Amino acid sequence: MIPDAHPSQPAPARDRGPSGPALQLLPGLPELPRDSAPAPSPNAAPGAPECWLAIQLPHLALDLQARHHADADRLAQHPLLIVERGERPRVHAANRAARRAGARPGMPLGDALALLDTPELIEDDPVARAREIHQLAAALLQFSDHVHPEPGAQRILLEVGRSRRLFGGLPALRERAEAVLRELGFQPRTGMARSPAAARLLAAHRHPEIPEDRDALRRSLARFPLGTLPLPATTREALQATGLRVFGELLRLPRAELARRHGPDLLQTIDRLLGDACETLPRFVPPATLELTLRLDHEIRASTALVFPLRRLLQQAEQQLRGRALSLQGMQLDLQHREDTTRLNLERGQPGIRAADWLSLWQTRLERETLQAPVIGLRLHSAELLEPPATDDGLLTGDPAGDHDDAGHGAGHPRHLPAVLARLRARLGAQQVGRLVNRGTPAPEDAQEPVFAAMRPGPDTATHPPSPAQQACGTALWVHAPEPVPAPRSGDTQPLGRLENGWWDRENDRRRDYALTRDVRGRWIWLFRCLRNGGWFRQGYWG
Amino acid sequence: MTRALDSLLEHPALWRGRQGAPVSGDAVWPAGTPELEKALGGGWPRGQLVELLGAPFGSGETRLLVPMLAACARARLWIALIGPPATPWLPGWQQLGIPPERVLLVQAEQDPERLWSAEQCLRDPAFGALLVWIHGPAETARLRRLRLAAGESRACAVLYRPPQAAEQPSPAHQRLQWQPHGRDLRLHFLKGNGAQHRRGRPLDISVAHPPPAEDAP
Repeated sequence: MIPDAHPSQPAPARDRGPSGPALQLLPGLPELPRDSAPAPSPNAAPGAPECWLAIQLPHLALDLQARHHADADRLAQHPLLIVERGERPRVHAANRAARRAGARPGMPLGDALALLDTPELIEDDPVARAREIHQLAAALLQFSDHVHPEPGAQRILLEVGRSRRLFGGLPALRERAEAVLRELGFQPRTGMARSPAAARLLAAHRHPEIPEDRDALRRSLARFPLGTLPLPATTREALQATGLRVFGELLRLPRAELARRHGPDLLQTIDRLLGDACETLPRFVPPATLELTLRLDHEIRASTALVFPLRRLLQQAEQQLRGRALSLQGMQLDLQHREDTTRLNLERGQPGIRAADWLSLWQTRLERETLQAPVIGLRLHSAELLEPPATDDGLLTGDPAGDHDDAGHGAGHPRHLPAVLARLRARLGAQQVGRLVNRGTPAPEDAQEPVFAAMRPGPDTATHPPSPAQQACGTALWVHAPEPVPAPRSGDTQPLGRLENGWWDRENDRRRDYALTRDVRGRWIWLFRCLRNGGWFRQGYWG
Repeated sequence: MTRALDSLLEHPALWRGRQGAPVSGDAVWPAGTPELEKALGGGWPRGQLVELLGAPFGSGETRLLVPMLAACARARLWIALIGPPATPWLPGWQQLGIPPERVLLVQAEQDPERLWSAEQCLRDPAFGALLVWIHGPAETARLRRLRLAAGESRACAVLYRPPQAAEQPSPAHQRLQWQPHGRDLRLHFLKGNGAQHRRGRPLDISVAHPPPAEDAP
């Protein structure tokens, strides 16, 4: 569904075929008498007509509530108010049941309480809302490299003119952006136009048209009442007092007169709506790490119940990382309790962002966890984000035999760890599953180092080939720390080789003659005679 | 009539005594010696669960599998050691042709967790061989799950069990009992291809391939 390429890339040239109408490429001709030609917008790349998508989230506070709860239906049936705290508490948002009963956003809380039958009251959290807008802005980076969040208005603006061909046209792009947000549990309203100001206006009024050129935009906006325009109240009242009702009537008036009567700001607003004057919006730069938090309204006492909120977080992480074209191999989950925090780590063999994959791993991991205290919040973070996996090992490291199809999809290379690893580590614990790395030190008992923590490709997992000293010890299969054993009968042992190490160190020299013998129980014993004191030690088993 | 019989025989719940006969050379890992390969029906079978019953640990029952493990590593597949009773000496393995980076070590304390891990590994196509050690009596249902998982995989799952387990019936494809016998490892074929082929005759395998100084004192 989501394209592989980053949407900020310029549209491919092959789309300049007969399907692309020439009208799109020509800027609309200004109709109004103008002093000067419109300045080229600094937002737009040369050659691509600018188009803005405004995404308004009017029900953000309610959406945030709904995603915490598994039983969203119950939430919809019972009246619920999000209350803004203050000297006079006001209703910030009301769900459908509450609105049907007459509660409106902005209404004093006392009035709303008089209308509703025991509504559920939840305190508004403007910080959480603003944070959410920024998180979503990061997720929307998959559609454009120019994203501008407006947390105060619960709105995000995207410049999508250059992404249109990549997504198969503006309507398709809009649908996909809406689908992404809906999947994350939000109810967006969108508007698209050639200027950010018009896109905001169209989004607020759920206007389905996409006026791409100036004429179409003018026609679309002409029907909008003056009350909906982003004008100061005094200007609006003054205009209405002269008998004007809709934007189209305002456009017919001479500009110089308007400027003289109502100030130059009005002209600038009009120009910005029509896209004649540019509006420079700063680009959103996502943080370098991934951090998603979720405050739970109900305490969760069973680790299995964490799966639902966690799924939402992982979906959001997936969208965000997709937007930023990054991947990750490990993540941390903090379970926030009232007093302290439980920190869980999860690391996979291969980087990936799919929420479903991560969720099944977390499920396995959480099954192992018994909650010490009820959980009131979740925090998902990863400090280490990876570039998407390079596909460089397809040609050179491909299976030369070619008949092992199962070795072909990544498992064939030793750097690629099997996918099952993450599941094993999730259930058994990270310290239980790993590999052994040869450190190259001669003494067998401490030559090997388990690698549990860093199970990712890199120099840290590179292992030494067996050193000559190690080869002298023979090809035993199992090793343990030396244990003193009685000397075997001389005819029963097969000598293997001599390990000489530390002879420069008078006290700690390790000179050993390795040998193989069979004990009374039939075991093949791997043993050595210490040349310093003549004692025999068992080092392991031959097989 | 034949078709009805064929469809009946394809029923997954039906197990035939002679089932488990190897299909082709690709379906087995080499076993090292011709006698053993003949008894096993070509080699260590891929996609099957093999039980190796015996004691004590270290008699050569791991060395018995070295040809299989080396072939498995050559095929760029992974080897899982699940709950081994000792630490593998991987420099030694490497000299036998088994690179350490292909060996995954899973240390699970309890038998059920080991069997669970084995099942998970079998469901991953990255593995070519599994060596699982369990101590106690195993639930037949768990072994059956393992057998099913092995049947769907391309790996050879080897389950090391104590010799007492021979008295229990088991759903494994093949069962072999081993014991030290002189300088060799003596194999009794309890179930599977070898049981028919050898008809109860044990097979002695020389597993301790010492360095060239074979008979030097």
